[in-house]
Amino acid sequence: MRLRARLSMLDVTTWLILAFIAAPLLIVVPMSFSTAPSLEFPPPAWGIDYYRNFFHDPRWLQPTLNSFIIALGASILTMLLVVPAAFAMVRHRFFGRAMTNLLLLLPLTAPHIVIALGYYSYFGTMHLTQTHLGVILAHTCLSVPMVFLTLSAALKGFDRNLERAAANLGASPLRVFRHVTFPVLRPAFLVAALFAFVQSFDETVVALFISGRDAATLPRKFFDSMRTQADPGVAVVSTLLLAVVITAVVGSRLVRRRRMRLQRLGPGV
Amino acid sequence: MAVAWSLRGAGSRRWLPWLLLAPVLVYLAIFYIAPLGIVVVASVTDPTPSFAHYRDFFTDGFYLQVLGRTFLTALIVTLGCLLLGYPLAYAMARRDDSLVLAMLTLVALSFWTSFLVRTYAWMVILGNRGPVTAAFRLIGWDPPPEILFTRFSSTLAMVHILLPFMVMALYSVMKKIEPALLKAAQNLGASPADTFRHVFFPLSAPGVVNGCTMVFILCLGFYVTPVLLGSPREQMLAGLIGHQIEELLDFGEASTMAVVLLLSTLGLVAIYNRFVGIDKLWG
Repeated sequence: MRLRARLSMLDVTTWLILAFIAAPLLIVVPMSFSTAPSLEFPPPAWGIDYYRNFFHDPRWLQPTLNSFIIALGASILTMLLVVPAAFAMVRHRFFGRAMTNLLLLLPLTAPHIVIALGYYSYFGTMHLTQTHLGVILAHTCLSVPMVFLTLSAALKGFDRNLERAAANLGASPLRVFRHVTFPVLRPAFLVAALFAFVQSFDETVVALFISGRDAATLPRKFFDSMRTQADPGVAVVSTLLLAVVITAVVGSRLVRRRRMRLQRLGPGV
Repeated sequence: MAVAWSLRGAGSRRWLPWLLLAPVLVYLAIFYIAPLGIVVVASVTDPTPSFAHYRDFFTDGFYLQVLGRTFLTALIVTLGCLLLGYPLAYAMARRDDSLVLAMLTLVALSFWTSFLVRTYAWMVILGNRGPVTAAFRLIGWDPPPEILFTRFSSTLAMVHILLPFMVMALYSVMKKIEPALLKAAQNLGASPADTFRHVFFPLSAPGVVNGCTMVFILCLGFYVTPVLLGSPREQMLAGLIGHQIEELLDFGEASTMAVVLLLSTLGLVAIYNRFVGIDKLWG
């Protein structure tokens, strides 16, 4: 009896905490279908004017485009730099490895505001502030740790006997990589590149101080709008971003579950 | 052919890792270490070479107050995340049904939703025309208390934003705890409370350390949420640095604050690395 009372109290606590997590995510949706010019909840009336305005407003569309360009550039550059590094770190033992590991993880631990201050001055003298290139170069640094962690985790789980077998059959190192290593690791490569893309797309602090007006990213525009006035575009962007996240998270869970079910059914399916 | 390749591989082993690492190391040196170095150098050379900024920082009551407030806020947010995260992770780890998947999905949704979107959501909830203010009016508290743009609102939002980090750190450790150990303790006569205190909790401790370290470090350098939701008169260190860049630009002074923030963060990471090992933090 006492046990059941305690269990149900744990249940109630659990549901309250889940509601605390979920409620703020959901509240942005009705806000975007409101007609009120300010942050009024619940909205006094419903409409899709905010969406119509958003998709005709270059002050929102340009930063959105900038963010896509910058995130794409940063994720490609990060992959080019980190893929060879991950192979070196996982497959070789050498003097200075521990130190290198710390260096590769440094951008994850150092607060963004500190490096933003550095970029503000450094990129200023290099004429890289207010350019797409400047933001790409900065975001690449910030994406290095996440991509490195993802790739090295995948590499550690890679069975090297596959490569040895291919080499024994006479394949050159390059062919081994192209026909064995890369195809096996391709999903991990894609996930790592996606992490880099999202990291850049969401990054606010550095973009705030170096992207300027010409290369303003979506988070920068979002931040400015939220600080100055209650711009309804913020509610629209929030809802759209939330929709993308829900699709991606729920979609990836469904794919994983389906793959697991297929594996259980056996190789014949 | 294969033999020749493996022989060549053995001979090149010494320089091969450095060749593979060269691009990323050179890149980070130019585009990460150099700008970081500029901040460190500027803190003792701008406008003239001296330690005056540091002397000011550690003697002026204002800066010490900001530093203290930053650490206190990080501590409160960490405890808040632990208080909410532990029961949730515990409930998820002890369950074994499809509901766990739904809970994990919700935590993942929150995790992947931009900080800015979640900050905006709290602005709506706690704002003048939001549901919380309306609720205060409903119970006759009129005019309702000012909640938005206070330390309370930014602290609450930061707990919400950093909670997924805590839950994931705790859950990943808790789900590996062998259920047989708990059953064994109960078979030996331990009460549920004793089982929790002497078996489950000690085994979950690594998750607590990981989650708290991560949340504390992230909160220490948090810029966006305190600036947008917090009190302008009671900024945290990161907000003050941003304010310096935007309005006054005393680069030396801003750099000094940045170095203090950087060293505080790296100091904590170093302690964690010494006792646990940095690779476990994101494991």
